[in-house]
Amino acid sequence: MEEFYCVVTFHVTQHALIFENFMKKNNIDVKLMPVPRQVSSSCGTAAKIPCDIEEDVKTLCIKEDIPIDDFHHVINKKGTSWFSKYITK
Amino acid sequence: MSGKRKMFIYGGIVGLIGAVLMKLGNPGNMGICIACFWRDIAGALGLHRAEVVQYIRPEIIGIIFGSFIISYITGDFKVKGGSSPLIRFVLGFFLMIGALVFLGCPLRMILRLANGDLNALVGLVGYVAGIFIGVQFLKKGYTLGKSIDQPKIAGFIYPIIAVILLIFLVVRPAFILFSSEGPGSMAAPIAIALVLGAVVGIALQRSRICTAGGFRDLILIKDSYFLWGLIGIFVFALAGNLILNFDKFHLGFIEQPVAHTNHLWNFLGMVLVGLCSVLLGGCPIRQTILASEGDTDAGVTVLGLIAGAAFAHNFGLASSAKGVTANGKFAVIIGILFVLIIAYGVIVDTRKSNSKSKKEVKING
Repeated sequence: MEEFYCVVTFHVTQHALIFENFMKKNNIDVKLMPVPRQVSSSCGTAAKIPCDIEEDVKTLCIKEDIPIDDFHHVINKKGTSWFSKYITK
Repeated sequence: MSGKRKMFIYGGIVGLIGAVLMKLGNPGNMGICIACFWRDIAGALGLHRAEVVQYIRPEIIGIIFGSFIISYITGDFKVKGGSSPLIRFVLGFFLMIGALVFLGCPLRMILRLANGDLNALVGLVGYVAGIFIGVQFLKKGYTLGKSIDQPKIAGFIYPIIAVILLIFLVVRPAFILFSSEGPGSMAAPIAIALVLGAVVGIALQRSRICTAGGFRDLILIKDSYFLWGLIGIFVFALAGNLILNFDKFHLGFIEQPVAHTNHLWNFLGMVLVGLCSVLLGGCPIRQTILASEGDTDAGVTVLGLIAGAAFAHNFGLASSAKGVTANGKFAVIIGILFVLIIAYGVIVDTRKSNSKSKKEVKING
């Protein structure tokens, strides 16, 4: 089973809240979540958004001066954990 | 396996090890306690002279080794720092004061609860209240700033410290102090404690479980992902205690090991711990894990914890089973006020620099 989604990361937690608020006002499907393990070993806050609107979101953020850190494409594949990688070698 | 189930199991490993270490000789409801263990190490190094709490805890050494090795293998080892180190030191310092007034870090709070100590429930309410206050600062834009790359050698300092501590523990030179009575004299066998500590380090590095992060995310973004790790710690520690330590399981407030029944100060001590943990971006065990995977800011925070422990005992701030000291009460109040002022100061400064950079953009644009 494979799960594919996109997240936006932020330097400051407040920026995630501002981002969520703005996207909701613009009817963009957004959900705040912990930063995925594949992206970072930190435990900060990220925003999950549909991958197909990445460019629109980037343009909106620049236009409205909403600070973001980066965009990430996350793939969750079954059996790709650090542990299973070593035992299947 | 779903993410939350993984969190539950990773947390379960930590909780179960807490129960096992207690069975093997660690003090009551103190299978693992990061605040207490760093305090014991501070005592062993002679930074304080409380004779009953001096021991080089192999669990801490194991946690550092485990976290360092697994982060190195998986590529998580990244040497970064420079994000308000002095503020982090001070927050770590006051976090330790709060923890030693309550008598335990947030992890021990869960382990105490899992062995029937209801004073920990009061502490838990205080901890969540502190986190709630901290979250309000996050909403207002609180940040300690972005960390930047540091010389790689800086990331090896904590593993080197762990090696030196291990040598001291095994060789037992005369200048290292070891308790002959009290909690500091109660310990699981070194080799087992070292290995189980390493397992805890690996589990926490991989899962990123943080006692503050669990509640912070629930309050801030209504997400329970990390909270499942804490539930795992509690459930498995409870099951482990009922099986391994049933003779020591005791539900109630009174006569709990290394605990007092002063509700107000259990509450306020943990308010201070919760507040500091959120402002630091992690509880004491998370800071220890981060310090081991190259985060030099977390390394400074741990130094703050150690300094806080030394001062707590030298100035008579730490509580005991007899209760809370007058100095301890004073220190908690000062700590809460001081930390609130720091957080407010950070927000004011962040806002100023944000509006300044916007003005510059407008002028340049």
